[in-house]
Parts: sequence; C-alpha cells; structure tokens
Amino acid sequence: MSSNDIEILKRALSREKAARKQAEKILEDKSKELYLLTTKLKSTNQKLEDRIETKSSELQGLFENLVDAYVLMDLSGNVIEMNNAAVELFGYDIHKERLNVVSLIYKEDFTYAMNSFAKLVKEGSFSDYEARVYTKNRGIKTVHINASIIKDKNKKPVAAQGIVRDITDELFRQRSFEEQQKQLSVIVENSSLGIVLSQFGKIVQTNKAFQNLLGYDQEELLQKEVKDISIKDEYTKAAISMDKMNKGEIDHFTVNKRYLRHDGSTFWAKTSVAAVRKQDQSVKYQVALIEDITEQLEHEKQRDLLLKKLEKSNKELNDYAHIVSHDLKSPLRSMNALITWLKEDYQDVLDENAQQSFDMLLKKIDKMDHLINGILKYASIDKSDQPKQKINLQQIVADTIDIIYIPDHITIKIDTHLPVIKGDKFRLQQLFQNLLNNAVKYNDKEQGLINISYTENNDFWQFAIKDNGPGIPEKYHHKIFQVFQTISDGKESTGIGLSIVKKIIELYEGKIWIESEQNKGTTFFFTLKK
Amino acid sequence: MAFNFLLIEDDEIERLKFARVLQKNNYSHKLIEAENGEDALQILENNELIPDIIFLDLNMPKMNGLEFLKILKSNPSLKYTPVVILSTSDNHSDLKESYETGIAGYIVKPLKYEDYAHKIKCLIEYWSVNEFVNR
Repeated sequence: MSSNDIEILKRALSREKAARKQAEKILEDKSKELYLLTTKLKSTNQKLEDRIETKSSELQGLFENLVDAYVLMDLSGNVIEMNNAAVELFGYDIHKERLNVVSLIYKEDFTYAMNSFAKLVKEGSFSDYEARVYTKNRGIKTVHINASIIKDKNKKPVAAQGIVRDITDELFRQRSFEEQQKQLSVIVENSSLGIVLSQFGKIVQTNKAFQNLLGYDQEELLQKEVKDISIKDEYTKAAISMDKMNKGEIDHFTVNKRYLRHDGSTFWAKTSVAAVRKQDQSVKYQVALIEDITEQLEHEKQRDLLLKKLEKSNKELNDYAHIVSHDLKSPLRSMNALITWLKEDYQDVLDENAQQSFDMLLKKIDKMDHLINGILKYASIDKSDQPKQKINLQQIVADTIDIIYIPDHITIKIDTHLPVIKGDKFRLQQLFQNLLNNAVKYNDKEQGLINISYTENNDFWQFAIKDNGPGIPEKYHHKIFQVFQTISDGKESTGIGLSIVKKIIELYEGKIWIESEQNKGTTFFFTLKK
Repeated sequence: MAFNFLLIEDDEIERLKFARVLQKNNYSHKLIEAENGEDALQILENNELIPDIIFLDLNMPKMNGLEFLKILKSNPSLKYTPVVILSTSDNHSDLKESYETGIAGYIVKPLKYEDYAHKIKCLIEYWSVNEFVNR
C-alpha cells in the first residue's frame, strides 16, 4: 500500500471520524430531543393516567350511586356488574353469588323478554321495555329498562348493559288512580242526577243523566252556555248567587229553576252548585247537580189538592155531624113537649101505670139527647183550632172538680201538684172531666177515693187517675175506648165519654191504658206529649 | 101591656109550645105565626100587624133565619124591632153571625118542655119592663 493510499485512507478516516462525530452530535441532539420528548410524554401520560384514574373513580362513584339500577351482562345473560341500586332491587349481589338474568324473568313475560333481547342484539339497543321480574325473595316487581349492546374493537357484540327502574309503586299508583277515576266516572255516568261542569257559564262537561234530561248529546251541550238552557229571569236570579260564589262569599248554593229541553219544553229542577277552586281560591269550575223535581212538584201539588179536599170533606163531615144532631134533637124536643102535655092535660085520666110509662119514655128521650150531645162533642174535639197555650193543669183540674157532681162519700185528691203544660183549655178540661166523671159515677164503695198524680220524662207528661171503684174486666180494657161501647147499663152511659178522652189524647200524640183489679179499682194512665 | 109577637118557626110543635106557654100563663099577648122567613116578610109588608118582638128560628127551609134577619136589619122602619133567636144550635159561628147582624137575644131550645116554658116566661117578663122604639 502506498503512502498516498495511506494518506487517502487517513483523510477518509478523518472525514469519517468528523462525519461520525457530527452524526454522533446529531444523534446526541436527537437523543436529547427524544429524551425531552419522552420525559414530556411521560408526564403527559402520567397526567392522562391520573385523569383516567379520576374519571374512572368518578364513574365508579356515579355507577355505585346511580339511583336507577345498572346491570352489565354478557350475551348469555350472566351478570358481570351491577350497582347498589340493582342489588337492592333484585336482592342478588353478584359479588357474592352468580346471577343469570333469565332466572329473573317473570313466567308470563318470558316470550316478550326473549323477543326484546333478540331485538337488542340485532339493533344495538331498546328502550321502554316494561315487564315483571322476580326478586330473590320471590317478590314480583315491574321494571322499566333501557338497554344497549357493548361491542369490541371489531364491532362484535360482547356484552349488554341496562338501566333498570322499579316502576311497581308508580304503576300501582297509576292503576289505583285510574281505578278511582273509573269508579268516579261510573258514579257520574250512572247518577240519576244530572251533573254539569261549567266554567264561567260555559258548559265543559256533562253526564248521561243530564243529556237525557235535556235531550241533547254531549257535543251539542259543549257548544252551549248555561243561559242557553235556562229561562232568562231564573238565570238572572241564579246568576246573583253564582256571582257571590265567584267572589268567594259562598261555597255553594241551591236553586229551583227550569231548564229548556231540546224540544222546547221545560222542566223544574233543583240545582245545587258548588265551586271547584284553584289554589288562589279563584273559581276554576262550577259543578252543578241537577235533580228533576217535576214529579215531586206534581206530587206536592196533588198532595196540597188532596189536603184541601180532605180539609173540606172533614169540615163537611163536622158540619154534617152538627146538622144531623140538631135535626135529631128537634124531634126529641117535640116528643118531650108532647109527652109532658099528655101528662099534664090528662093527669086525672091516666093511672099510675100510664104515668110511669110516660116517665120512662121521657128518660129514653133524655138518653137519646145525651147520645146526640156526645156525638156533637166528639165531632167538635178536633175542630177547635185554638193555638196551644200555657195551661195550668192544677187550676183546670180544680175547676173541673168543682163543676162535676161529687157525692159526699167520694173524695178526689190531687197527689202531685199538676204542671203547666201547653195545650187547649177546652180539650184538657174535657179530658179530665170525662175521666173524673167516670171515676165518680161508677164508684161503688162506701168511701170512694180518687187520686190524681203525674210523672214526667223528656218527651211526655204521664198522668194517673186512680179510683177504688168496681174495676174493669180485662177483656174490656180496649173496648171501652171505642165509640158507643159501654160496659155499664146505667142510663147515663153513652159510650162516648172515653172515646172523646182517647181522641183528645191522640191529638196530643199520647197514649192511654188502664190497670185494673176486679172490685179494687182502676187506674187510668195517659201521656201527653210535651 | 099586651105585645104583638111574631114567631117565625117551621116546626108545628115548636109553634104549639110557644102558644101553650102564653096560654098557660094567661098572657094576653097576641101571637102571629110564620112558617119561614118569606112568609114573615109577606106579613110585615102587608102591614097586617107590626110586631113588638120577633122570635126567630135559625134553621128553616127556603129563607133561613139569618137571611131573614139581614133583610130585616136593612129595612129602615123594621130594623128597630128586637129579634130574639130561638135555635137548636149553640154553634159559635151561628151566635157570632147573629149578634153581628143585630139581635136582642139568643135562646138555645132546651130538650125539656118545662125548661123551655121557663125560658120563654123569663123572656116575656124581661121584655115587659123594656122600652121600644116603635111603640
């Protein structure tokens, strides 16, 4: 090898050295750059990792604390992950036990569940799936699920995730609300009362009964205002109350007004209107209940008519009793006169036998007169329409005792000072007079004793008139109060006295009854309403 | 002093009773009888005899006592004649209407003739001591 060659080689070597040095330098620079970049990348990476860490822990927290249940499962239904809400909902915890969602499906919803799952896999998601599931303790819950498929980087489905919401209670509430609404509408629709919801005079809702009452259908009525189906004057009158209600002065009112039917006829109805108020107390709706009272009014009219007729015929009957008894009395007076004259004018001719017969005739006439007087009194008992006054019974009874004839051997005693009651003086006097008269008249004892007493309760005065007379056999206890029924053959008994007593007591809504012991006496008890 | 009585009464025996009371007591009063209100008006219009006192039954066919009384009271020359009602009825409304129209007395006819005779006698004696507008 020549020196030249060596020189060339040397130079080449030094060039190479220089180049290498340069290259090294470049390399060094590049390395340095790379180092710096790496360091930078490292720190960025660290930052990123930190952030991911934060994010995933945030996500973990979110996932754990999600109110709705979250379930992640593989495509065979094996649950991979579930949050607290899911644990709580289903009762299973996959951290403790394995769980496949198929076991959760409610038997009847199985087909639906399978179809929905097939759709999920095919389309990637579904929403608003609603079905029933079993919980671990065999409870049944209704759930709402939105689900989606998770795919790997090759777009191949690998898992499914779902947000599950328990809608059991919500559904229950909704059902019971619907049920209530149904019940309410059944009531409203089947009510025999017409029901109308109106808003400031405009008809908003009606029920069947109201439609039938008016002969319009619902649509026709919704086109109308209340005044269109009312009589003008009556509407104006009702509007005054309506105004008061709108102002909040009253909450409801009732009015009798007429309604115009489709065919132009009208009917009377009792209308009860109530306000449905908003929170601020302003009226939102008026609810009106409409009751057809045409028949009721007709009945009332008929009843009034009947009452008038009854009053009239009652008066006629009373007048009749008066006229008849006066007409009956007239011939009795004549007979009495004629017999008296026969007795007077033929005193010398008539023997004792004939005189006796005439006397007996006169007595019969007398009795007949008594009877007629009794009928007159009986008929006029309920005729006197005196207003009830405060009556001092002690005074009345004392007066009565003065009026009636009391033989020496009979004593009448008022044991308890009698009260002041409300009533009609004439009737009350008649009542005591008849009872005391009987007690005196039929008394057969050497020392006759008659005691008057009374007790009271909240509603009634109860009086007792006790005698020590002959007593009344039990079989007559009811009979004696009937008109013309008498158990004595005395010339004075007409069988009217006690029936007058009973009639008076019944006018005071009281009762009369007797207790009696043969030969020891009788007590008449009677009540008068306070 | 002898009176002229007008007795308006449809019942024959009632008329006999009144006459008998007069006769038995030896009264010299004159008795004119009418069977009903119309007859009585006829008698009064004919001026046959002006009664001093009229005894009037209420319950009569044709014109009844109250109707007669009203006509009498509207007649300027007859309205001062005292009228005594002789009636079967002690009906409050009859009494009230009679007194309202204008009567001088109201007698309820008793059942017994003796009681009747006594009442009529009292009446006649009462009127015997009275003064009259028309006499």
